[in-house]
Amino acid sequence: MQRAQTEPYLSRFLHSRGAKLGLPVSGSFELTARCNFRCPMCYVHMEQEQIDSRGRELTAQQWIALAQEAADQGMAFALLTGGEPFLRRDFFEIYHAIQRMGVMVSINSNCSMLSGEILSRLLESPPFRMNISLYGGSRETYRDMCGRDAFDQVVANIRALKEAGVDVSLNLSITPWNCQDLERISAIARELGTPVRASSYMYPPIRVDGQQCQGSRRLTAREAARYRVRWEQLTLEEPEFLLRAERMKALSAAEPRECAIDTDAGVSCRAGSTSFWLTWDGRMLPCGMMPFPRGVSPGDGLRRGLAGDPKPHPPDPAPQRLCILRKAGGLLGLRRHVCDGDGSLRRYPGVCLPDDRRDRGCGLGGI
Amino acid sequence: MKLKKELIHRQIAGESFLIPLGKTVYDTNGLFVLTEVGAFLWERLPGAADEQELLQAVLEEYEVDEAQAAQDIAAFLDKLRGLEIL
Repeated sequence: MQRAQTEPYLSRFLHSRGAKLGLPVSGSFELTARCNFRCPMCYVHMEQEQIDSRGRELTAQQWIALAQEAADQGMAFALLTGGEPFLRRDFFEIYHAIQRMGVMVSINSNCSMLSGEILSRLLESPPFRMNISLYGGSRETYRDMCGRDAFDQVVANIRALKEAGVDVSLNLSITPWNCQDLERISAIARELGTPVRASSYMYPPIRVDGQQCQGSRRLTAREAARYRVRWEQLTLEEPEFLLRAERMKALSAAEPRECAIDTDAGVSCRAGSTSFWLTWDGRMLPCGMMPFPRGVSPGDGLRRGLAGDPKPHPPDPAPQRLCILRKAGGLLGLRRHVCDGDGSLRRYPGVCLPDDRRDRGCGLGGI
Repeated sequence: MKLKKELIHRQIAGESFLIPLGKTVYDTNGLFVLTEVGAFLWERLPGAADEQELLQAVLEEYEVDEAQAAQDIAAFLDKLRGLEIL
């Protein structure tokens, strides 16, 4: 499957173009705050009592209407997340509707429910990518960290997805509860043939309870660094690991700097620029971690939520990326010039791609 | 002309994409990009009886030599057939 390699080019290109044009290229739809796991570091999950006291989940029709609005404004990618999104009985109503908009839909899940009828329905129309949180490498870790004896089921479900041909990626949050499992987790990922995106930095779950910022149990900076290094040691080829180690060593040796945060500079990522996050109760956030909303509600629509203060965005790599796209996939050997605007026939450029590119599959290009 | 695969044609950020849907996701290996004329032809494929109709549409839209357009359309359709889209 080439998509894992080429998708980032597409994503970068579209986000870059979107930043110029002011498009909401990617949106995350947090369909629910409910979850069948009880992970202590989670930034979303709430018990029903907390949910009831804070608001109501949007209905399927509200999600679909918001997604349509975003798609009309240029949304290319949607992430359906939670909580555990498959807990919603109307999940497939929302999922299929957004897919039919021509949006590339990915799903975040703990994978514990992806068997039987749910799996069959998913495989009928698979997501662009399935992102699965793998919380540990043993039954004990799942019991301790997630509050459920779900390890065997999760691994079996990942295997079923892989065997069916679904593009699966694993997310690993390294925490005090699973840091002893890194060897086992890397072995499982290798055996399953799935890439893993690991992080040892856990944002404090301040959206759920702002007070936890000081009191939540998190890895210290030193522990987080140590487990990060251990993970890279387990997953990188030795030359690459050594190169990274040299770079990190040089960084560590540099003069320490005061921690200075320029609060006027905004954020340097895509959050709030070309990407947005809609919480389970319909508030728009720049990203799922940030607790301060921009005040949009389902009735307001997206445009108001996205109309924040403009902020600088990274230099535009579009021409290069576009070139890579075209070289990677080829394009149709037919193009027309832009209309003159006077209703006359358009100038026809002929077969625009030279012969040396024909051999590489010009005509219709796959990305 | 009958399309065998479920692909949604969308304009995103000024580019034309064919996005697979349903089981087509498994065997298309990602997305497809169309040039502007590719998109022009794609939109007319389902309603076109044959290549001649497509050629006529191109000739009505573009200032182009007939033989050149016919050759390009044939190449385009061959590509679609090769990908088992048409």
